[in-house]
Amino acid sequence: MRTRLALACVMVAVLGISCGCSTTGGLEATGTTAWNDEGARVLAKRVVYNSGSLKGDLEVVDLKSVLAGDLMRAQATLRSRDRDTLSFEYRFEWFDLNGIEIGAGSSSWKPLILIGNETKSIQASAPDPRAREFKLKLREPEQ
Amino acid sequence: MRKTHTRMIVIGVLAGSLTLTGCAGTTVQYGDAGSAKPISTEFGSSDLQQIAESLVDSMTTFPPVVELTGKRRPVLTVDKVKNKTMQHIDTESITDSIRARLIKSGKFRFIDRTTDDQAIEEIKIQQESGLVDKATAVEFGKQSGAEFLLTANFSEIKQKAGGVTDVYYKFTMSLKNLKTGILEWSDEKEIRKIAKKSLFGG
Repeated sequence: MRTRLALACVMVAVLGISCGCSTTGGLEATGTTAWNDEGARVLAKRVVYNSGSLKGDLEVVDLKSVLAGDLMRAQATLRSRDRDTLSFEYRFEWFDLNGIEIGAGSSSWKPLILIGNETKSIQASAPDPRAREFKLKLREPEQ
Repeated sequence: MRKTHTRMIVIGVLAGSLTLTGCAGTTVQYGDAGSAKPISTEFGSSDLQQIAESLVDSMTTFPPVVELTGKRRPVLTVDKVKNKTMQHIDTESITDSIRARLIKSGKFRFIDRTTDDQAIEEIKIQQESGLVDKATAVEFGKQSGAEFLLTANFSEIKQKAGGVTDVYYKFTMSLKNLKTGILEWSDEKEIRKIAKKSLFGG
C-alpha cells in the first residue's frame, strides 16, 4: 500500500515538473551556399526537427536564397498541417565561409502566426556580405 | 489536555509562518535579450528589434539602394523620430539600433550630430592649446557632409472593447536625398498586439 502511494506521489511530481517547464525543442533549417560543377551557385538544404509535435504541426516546404548585391537573402516557405491557427517564434542566424556565426546573438525571435493549413514565406537578409550559410530556428512560443 | 492542544496550535502556526517566510522573496535570473514574449500591449524590446531588423533588411536589399552602395559607402545622418504614439518611448534607441545595423552591413557611413559639442571642444584644444603637433592636428571645416537623411514616423492606433485591448503600431522610415529632396527608399513595419482580460486564471 505504502509503495503504491509513494509511486503515485512520484508520478504526480514528475507530471507537475513536466507541465511547469515548456519544451524548447523546435526545428532548424539550414541553407548552405555551394557551387556545382558548372560554377553556378546552389543551396544545400537540411531540415532537422527536434520536436515531434512541431513536426506534426508544420512542414518546411522550401528553402531559397538569392543575392541582393553581395548580401545573402534567405526565404523559407512553411506550411501548417493543423486546421487551427498556430503561433510560433523564429529567427535567422548567419554564418561565414568558415562556419563562424556573424553577429552572434544579435538576431531576435520574431512572432509567426499561421492560420489553418496556411502556407507562408518568411524572409531575412544577412547582416553583412560575409554570410554564406543561414540557419532558421523555429519554436513554439515561450510560455 | 487543553494546554497541550493550544501549544500544538501555536507551534503549528509558527512553523507555518516560518515556512511561508522562507518561500517569499524575489528571484532574479537572466533572460534572453532577443525574446519575443510580449508582457503587455505597450511598446517592448521585441517590438524595437523587429522594427530595426525589418527596416534594415528592406533598405539594404532594395534594388536602387543596392546599386547605390555597390561601389561606395554613402554618408547618412539620422533625424529624430516623430513619435505620434501616446506612449513615452525612447525613439533614439530604435534609430540607434537601425544605425548600428546599417554600419555593420558595411554599406553606409554615418554622421553623428549628437557628439558635435565634444568634437568642437577636442578640435579647439588641438588647434589652440599648443600641445598638439600642427601636422597631426585636425582642422576645422574638413568634415564630410551627409548625402542622405533617414527620417521616421512612429504612430499607434489603440482600440478597447470589453476586456480586449488592440494596439496597432506603425513605424515608417524614409531615405531622403539631401541634394535633390527625393525619397530614395521608404518602408514601414507594422506590429499588432492584442491583450485579453480573462475572468479566471491568467
